[in-house]
Amino acid sequence: MAVCIAVIAKENYPLYIRSVPIQNELKFHYTVHTSLDVVEEKISAVGKAMADQRELYLGLLYPTEDYKVYGYVTNSKVKFVIVVDSSNTSLRDNEIRSMFRKLHNSFTDVMCNPFYNPGDTIQSKAFDSMVSAMMVQVS
Amino acid sequence: MQRELDCQTFLSQYLSRAHEKEMSVPDYMQCAEDHQTVLVVVQPVGVVPEDQFFRIYKRIASVAQVSIRDSQRNLYIRYRHHYLPENNEWGDFQTHRKVVGLISVTTCGSAKEWPQTLDRFHGQKEVFGATLYDSRLLVFGLQGEIAEQQRTDVAFYSSYDDCPDVEKRVEDFVESIFIVLESKRLDRATDKSGDKIPLLCVPFEKKDFVGLDTDSRHYKKRCQGRMRKHVGDLCLQAGMLQDALVHYHMAVELLRSVNDFLWLGAALEGLCSASVIFHYPGGTAGKAAGRKPSLAQGQGQAADAGKRHRPGALTANGISADTSSEIGRAKNCLSPEDIIEKYKEAISYYGKYKNAGVIELEACVKAVRVLAIQKRAMEASEFLQNAVYINLGQLSEEEKIQRYSILSELYDLIGFHRKSAFFKRVAAMQCVAPTIPEPGWRACYKLLLETLPGYSLSLDPKDFSKGTHRGWAAVQMRLLHELVYASRRMGNPGLSVRHLSFLLQTMLDFLSDQEKKEVTQSLENYTSKCPGGMEVLTLPDGLKLPPVPFTKLPIIRSVKLLDLPISLRPHKQKGLLGNNMSTKSPFIYSPIIMHNRGEERNKKIEFQWVQGEVCEVQLMVYNPMPFELRVEHMGLLTSGVEFEALPAALSLPAESGLYPVTLVGVPRTAGNITVNGYHTSVFGVTSDCLLEGLPSVRTSGCMVEVIPSLPRLQLSTSLPRSAHPLQPSKEELSSSVSVQLFNGETQHLTITLENIGSEDLETLEVASKTCNTKEKLFGEFLSWNLEEAVSQLPLKPGQSVTLTVNIKVRLDFSGGENLLQDLNDDGISVTGLPISSPLRQVLRPRAETKPLGSESSKTDYNHIKTLEAVMTFKYSGGAGKVEGYYRDLTLGVHVDIEPSVFFTRVSTLPATRTRQCHLLLDVFNSTEHELTVSAKNNQDLVLHASECQRMAIQVDKFDFDTLPQPDQEAVRYTTPKLLEEERLHAQASMINSTLAHPSVRRRGEASVEGVLNQLVLEHLQLAPLQWDVVVNGKPCDCDIIADCKVGDAVPLEVKLTNRSKNAVGPFALTVVPFQDYQNGVQNYDLQDAVTFIGSNTFYIDTVNPTENSVCVGALLFLYTGDFYLNIKFQDDSAGQGKELPPSWFGLPSVHIKALEAPIEAGA
Repeated sequence: MAVCIAVIAKENYPLYIRSVPIQNELKFHYTVHTSLDVVEEKISAVGKAMADQRELYLGLLYPTEDYKVYGYVTNSKVKFVIVVDSSNTSLRDNEIRSMFRKLHNSFTDVMCNPFYNPGDTIQSKAFDSMVSAMMVQVS
Repeated sequence: MQRELDCQTFLSQYLSRAHEKEMSVPDYMQCAEDHQTVLVVVQPVGVVPEDQFFRIYKRIASVAQVSIRDSQRNLYIRYRHHYLPENNEWGDFQTHRKVVGLISVTTCGSAKEWPQTLDRFHGQKEVFGATLYDSRLLVFGLQGEIAEQQRTDVAFYSSYDDCPDVEKRVEDFVESIFIVLESKRLDRATDKSGDKIPLLCVPFEKKDFVGLDTDSRHYKKRCQGRMRKHVGDLCLQAGMLQDALVHYHMAVELLRSVNDFLWLGAALEGLCSASVIFHYPGGTAGKAAGRKPSLAQGQGQAADAGKRHRPGALTANGISADTSSEIGRAKNCLSPEDIIEKYKEAISYYGKYKNAGVIELEACVKAVRVLAIQKRAMEASEFLQNAVYINLGQLSEEEKIQRYSILSELYDLIGFHRKSAFFKRVAAMQCVAPTIPEPGWRACYKLLLETLPGYSLSLDPKDFSKGTHRGWAAVQMRLLHELVYASRRMGNPGLSVRHLSFLLQTMLDFLSDQEKKEVTQSLENYTSKCPGGMEVLTLPDGLKLPPVPFTKLPIIRSVKLLDLPISLRPHKQKGLLGNNMSTKSPFIYSPIIMHNRGEERNKKIEFQWVQGEVCEVQLMVYNPMPFELRVEHMGLLTSGVEFEALPAALSLPAESGLYPVTLVGVPRTAGNITVNGYHTSVFGVTSDCLLEGLPSVRTSGCMVEVIPSLPRLQLSTSLPRSAHPLQPSKEELSSSVSVQLFNGETQHLTITLENIGSEDLETLEVASKTCNTKEKLFGEFLSWNLEEAVSQLPLKPGQSVTLTVNIKVRLDFSGGENLLQDLNDDGISVTGLPISSPLRQVLRPRAETKPLGSESSKTDYNHIKTLEAVMTFKYSGGAGKVEGYYRDLTLGVHVDIEPSVFFTRVSTLPATRTRQCHLLLDVFNSTEHELTVSAKNNQDLVLHASECQRMAIQVDKFDFDTLPQPDQEAVRYTTPKLLEEERLHAQASMINSTLAHPSVRRRGEASVEGVLNQLVLEHLQLAPLQWDVVVNGKPCDCDIIADCKVGDAVPLEVKLTNRSKNAVGPFALTVVPFQDYQNGVQNYDLQDAVTFIGSNTFYIDTVNPTENSVCVGALLFLYTGDFYLNIKFQDDSAGQGKELPPSWFGLPSVHIKALEAPIEAGA
């Protein structure tokens, strides 16, 4: 269902990025990269009000003709970006939310690994297979 | 990118539909406040030099705002030098699109041209004819009659440089426009009823209304609404903000009721514009917009700002002059939130008409600008998102570029830098789209450079040196590749090389093996045309591209300065150490060490380099590339002293591990040298890599002192070089020699010292040290005479001096008593031992040390011993000597010593003289060759291999006196000194000649040192009591025959000298004469033949140490013959209870030959 899933560090560089159509990976790099503008804007807009009670899910960042880009920010300012196909109408907000929740849990597991250096690219197999599962699930 | 391309294909579907005449060129620079401006077109007529025209244009454009006399209102003017007449046709829809003024600029050289010029001017007026309120012609260059005439619409200037009142003219012109505007406004505003209100429409609507019922209520309302909106526009332009708002509100009401969406949108936008003008008097255009501040008028910025205040708007005091109007306006005015809502609404209405695309797009742009001011980026992005999809029919490539650029600019305005960069990149790509016949690589490159910040890329490699690279590598790499390509197509290979180097240096971790190969290949291709260097590249627009040193090709892990080889290392003279003390601190020692981590690199290294001497720095490098890396011209970068780096070329295997590389160079002057970095040339790119930019490089300090030059000696020897190093190799040696010698042999070693440096050798000192001291060594191992060599100093470069060193080896090979006793068992008979029993005791404690097998003991004594010594040559000279430095040259001398001869047994036999004795030596030849042994004056003894023979040597007993012995006991336990002394007396010379190699004659000395045991020594010593017998005034000893005459009294004197420490005596001596018949019979019955004069017994009183006592008697021989006198000793000192050793009483026997007295004398 998701065509691209990315984890972006606090400093806005990718920790993990994977997309389904391998041949056009760069396109997704661009999509996710530009979506960060919106993410940052959303964080700064909400962050001023109540940083601690803020909703982690950012919702739809922006739609393109073919894709919808959703965002999610952890409290430690790590961003998750999920790109889904616009044609896939079966995906509701709730599904997206649950995907982010799963992603967040899996990311937490990665962070709990004592051999993982925060800031390094994620190479965990468990995380990878979880992402694969989310991408395959429907599509 | 993809999305954008999709958008384009989407647009292309509508190409065929865009056939109607419509406004197709959007003005992306528009902003909300432009609604209050009046449009004036400034155009050249005829031939006007472009630069002159723009000079005039600028001066005209500086009159952007004119306050109208007798009113508080201001008129704002927008100038265009180019405006499409199609756009002008939309003037009724939004009056700020209507060209109301025309200023023509023309050059007119002569009066003849005047009519033609005027015609042209009128022609131009025709273009905008319908909408123009007024026009002006500025004529430059015309003088004379025509120029004299006063015309309101024409101004004459003699030249472009002489036109002081252009601004004034323009102001007058603007005022005249205002009058028309005001009259039109009043005309329309008061046009309440009666007359039929004309229907205003946009170009594409005109045909839609053909045949419509003009009398319907609906139609009338539509006309009214559109007119209200138009009046609102006019009010806004005329500076009546309040009225404009009111009119807009009314228009919205009217138009909404008739569902006239296009005009409803326009009315709403008008409302928004008026509200924006009210809320944001500073404008929404931002810096990017083309608004020109009226600086040229000489007005200050502050004055200008004050002027820009709308009447009724809040002044600095916060109090408006007209409070009533303030309230009214506030009521009609939209709140900032409403402005956006209304914009949205308006845009949605515009969106219903595909022919109003430009209007919609411009509205979007205006709304975005407002939102940017409001800092509502999210909503702004939505407007922009919408703007992206607005179809404007077929766009030219240039328009596309413009559109993407403005999108990029707007995204930048709302802080979406990534999005901005994205569109800028799209614009850049558009510049070089394949459909364009002449791709604009320069523009593309320029735009690409502008995207760099959006992708958080700087072109300074220093920004990437800290830690691992973190960024959107895939995207950044793409951009860099595009930069490389664009710069290459631009025809600037230098830039390509720089960008490609940057790509390789910063993105190395992200490149796949294949990509690495490709990138390096293309880099090599580029550098073959334009080698890369370290200079800063400056682009025409001032951007500087810093150099990219390849610090990762290869990667350097550590830098270590190496000390000079041991023979070249300088040493500081000890005596001058005081001068060397640092003067930084007054304390000799302080526990507080000023330790600073950062200064690690600057730490001075302990050792020194020498001027003119090749110095080495070791780098640990590795090659991260999947192929062989060729590094050329790798050299050191240093500061401090003049340094001649000797570059090296290396080839590192693919993905090599750490690889040591030694870089060398020669310091040419003295001082402190700092190694700052290194220089490489890889793939045709030369780099200067500074260590300070490389935090991952480990170093133990990079500063070292270079001392002034010193001479340099080369040592060569007559002996072959040693293959094996000295055993305890605690210190390195410059060279070493080895030689094999028989024990006792002497070898001459000639050492040649050549000055191969450039300085004079001024001092030379030689010292030696024996290394392994566990062997007992007799005598001096190495000896030399330096005087001759020193006399040749100073030694000029190229000269040499020789020194002869004698290597003498004398080791104890006996291996203790084991050997002796073994040899004793070989069946060599030992006979004639005078004092048998004590010696036996010494020599035969054999029972417990008997070896198990005789074979092992054989090999035991046959083994080769080694002796090692180090000779040190200290030398100095030149400037280094002045500074107190010297150099050391060390020569290791390694000697393998084979045993030659052993003295297996030693004993003594008393000689005939009391002062002498015979030393009996059993000499064993342990070599495989025949040898000849000769001692002092004995004849040679030939010994065959493994043969043992006895030889006797007559030696003088030696004296205790010469030895300052503390007491008797010390003498007993032989001291080295004693041995030394003894060696002088009991030395055997040995000639060792081999029959196997007759050509090699070798000779040496064998020493009895260490062989002599206690008992033998005792015999060799002179007794402490020295007895001298003097017969007839002549000292006598055993083999001296004293002559005397029969009948004469022979005086006999016995003298005792006490050299012992204690007093001795008293003694009694009895002289017994006897005759030896040489047949074993001794006749003691000589009372008839010899008579004593006086007693035959002498008494000697106690003799104190160092004193002597003499007793004198006399003999009378009655017959001729050979007589012997035996002086017998009777110890009378029994009372003392002290036994003195018998050897102390070795009195000589006296031999006297009594001769016949001459008869004549007797007669």
